[in-house]
Amino acid sequence: MLRGPRSVRVTRRYWWGEIGNGVCTPAPADDGAALERLAALETPVDRWVPARWEDAVACGAVADRAAYLARLHRLASRLAAIRVAEAFRSPDIELAQMVRALDGLDEAINLLTERAVEWYSTQDPGFTRKFSTLPSRKLVPLLAARAKGPLRPLLAEIQSLAEGRAALARDVTRAADRVMPNSSALVGGLVAARLLAAAGSLDALARLPGSGLQVLGARTALFSHIRSGTPPPKHGLIFQHRRVHGAPMAVRGRVARALAARLAIAARIDRYRGETDPSFIEAANARIDEVLT
Amino acid sequence: MIWRDGTLVSPGQGGVYGERMRGGYRVWDPRRSKLAALAHLDPAFDLEAGLRVLYLGAANGTTVSHVADYAEVVYAVEFAPRPMQDLLAVARRRPNIIPILADANRPEQYAHLLEPVELLVQDVAQPHQAAIAVRNRPFLVPGGRLILMLKVRSIEQGRPLEEVGAEAMAALEVGGYAVESSRPLLPYHRDHLAILATRRN
Repeated sequence: MLRGPRSVRVTRRYWWGEIGNGVCTPAPADDGAALERLAALETPVDRWVPARWEDAVACGAVADRAAYLARLHRLASRLAAIRVAEAFRSPDIELAQMVRALDGLDEAINLLTERAVEWYSTQDPGFTRKFSTLPSRKLVPLLAARAKGPLRPLLAEIQSLAEGRAALARDVTRAADRVMPNSSALVGGLVAARLLAAAGSLDALARLPGSGLQVLGARTALFSHIRSGTPPPKHGLIFQHRRVHGAPMAVRGRVARALAARLAIAARIDRYRGETDPSFIEAANARIDEVLT
Repeated sequence: MIWRDGTLVSPGQGGVYGERMRGGYRVWDPRRSKLAALAHLDPAFDLEAGLRVLYLGAANGTTVSHVADYAEVVYAVEFAPRPMQDLLAVARRRPNIIPILADANRPEQYAHLLEPVELLVQDVAQPHQAAIAVRNRPFLVPGGRLILMLKVRSIEQGRPLEEVGAEAMAALEVGGYAVESSRPLLPYHRDHLAILATRRN
């Protein structure tokens, strides 16, 4: 049979072995070695020549169809498990989980505090929060000292949750400074970490355009805009940064846009260089402040 | 496919995701699975036993587990690590599921694991779904079937389903498929179009 020069030169690689120059070499019989070989394989599809399981048998890689499927199942499962573990090992995944837990804690603490204050007001009929400027994190210890019965342990529980929350917030900021130093320098560790969690990973964040970053976390408003033409959102999560929520209404959108554009660059430096770039941060901050004034 | 008193079922060990059992068979709920919805809506649709299947967008293995009850082997491709953990647990009890953590956009990541298949099922939330089906066409035997669960809202917001669907079908035709039918999956799934096609030579 005539063969094109290319089919002679190209080695066809499959999970069970490879065929080059008409010679077939089975993959290592040891699973560990076979896995290592498999993990490194890449086959462009335009050059993919389908192999049948009979080829693997003819090659001496497996005995029959059942053995073919059994070994493939074993190797593919282990490879997938390794890849899952690799995907979860990167520090940005942990950071995203931390900040989600932090937001969950906030929600729980607020909910429980509201309930506990309501409860306390039945124990102390004169109690009211009208005209009181006391934030609830100071209110709870006060109430804990005066509450009676089963309300006491609940208030103590809220306090310990609040302590845990404060510790976690410090951890988030510290981790964000390490994982995404440039983004954190622009908007602070907490907001940077929330953006990361909303995008899913540092990889996904670094691929977002500035316009996407600007409205990250404003999904409802964004889709309402796309579907029914309501005004587009000016900002999503980055509203939590003081230079956005502190800006005068008239320039808030401009500030958000300028900040988001710099954040997009910062996220890419974080992802692909992984170290602080002081001159970039200085220039970016200067540009944002310039919009503000 | 196997029906018991008007209920679609599949033969296999239960308890994969809390599905109900009926007469020793696993109930395949059209509200949870687009493929089951298609079987309910299209009287001509059949999933023959003993097929070799490539399933793109395997997710947690809910539908994949049912397909595996019928098929000889299912090559289950999923990109996200979190659902892959669940899929791996499903594959542990179903040796004919081959789990693959890879991007369906990049078949070069998993081509060497595959053999030619008779059925390609695609259910991925991506903007270029027709292109993905075309890119994975080499894995289908000539005349092999494609079931594309087109997620219309992953392609474009705010345009009618028919328009987006027509564009996708045109892209499939150009890419070497012969489109046979398409139908929305209402009332079971909103904004989904089930496209059936075969690989042209």
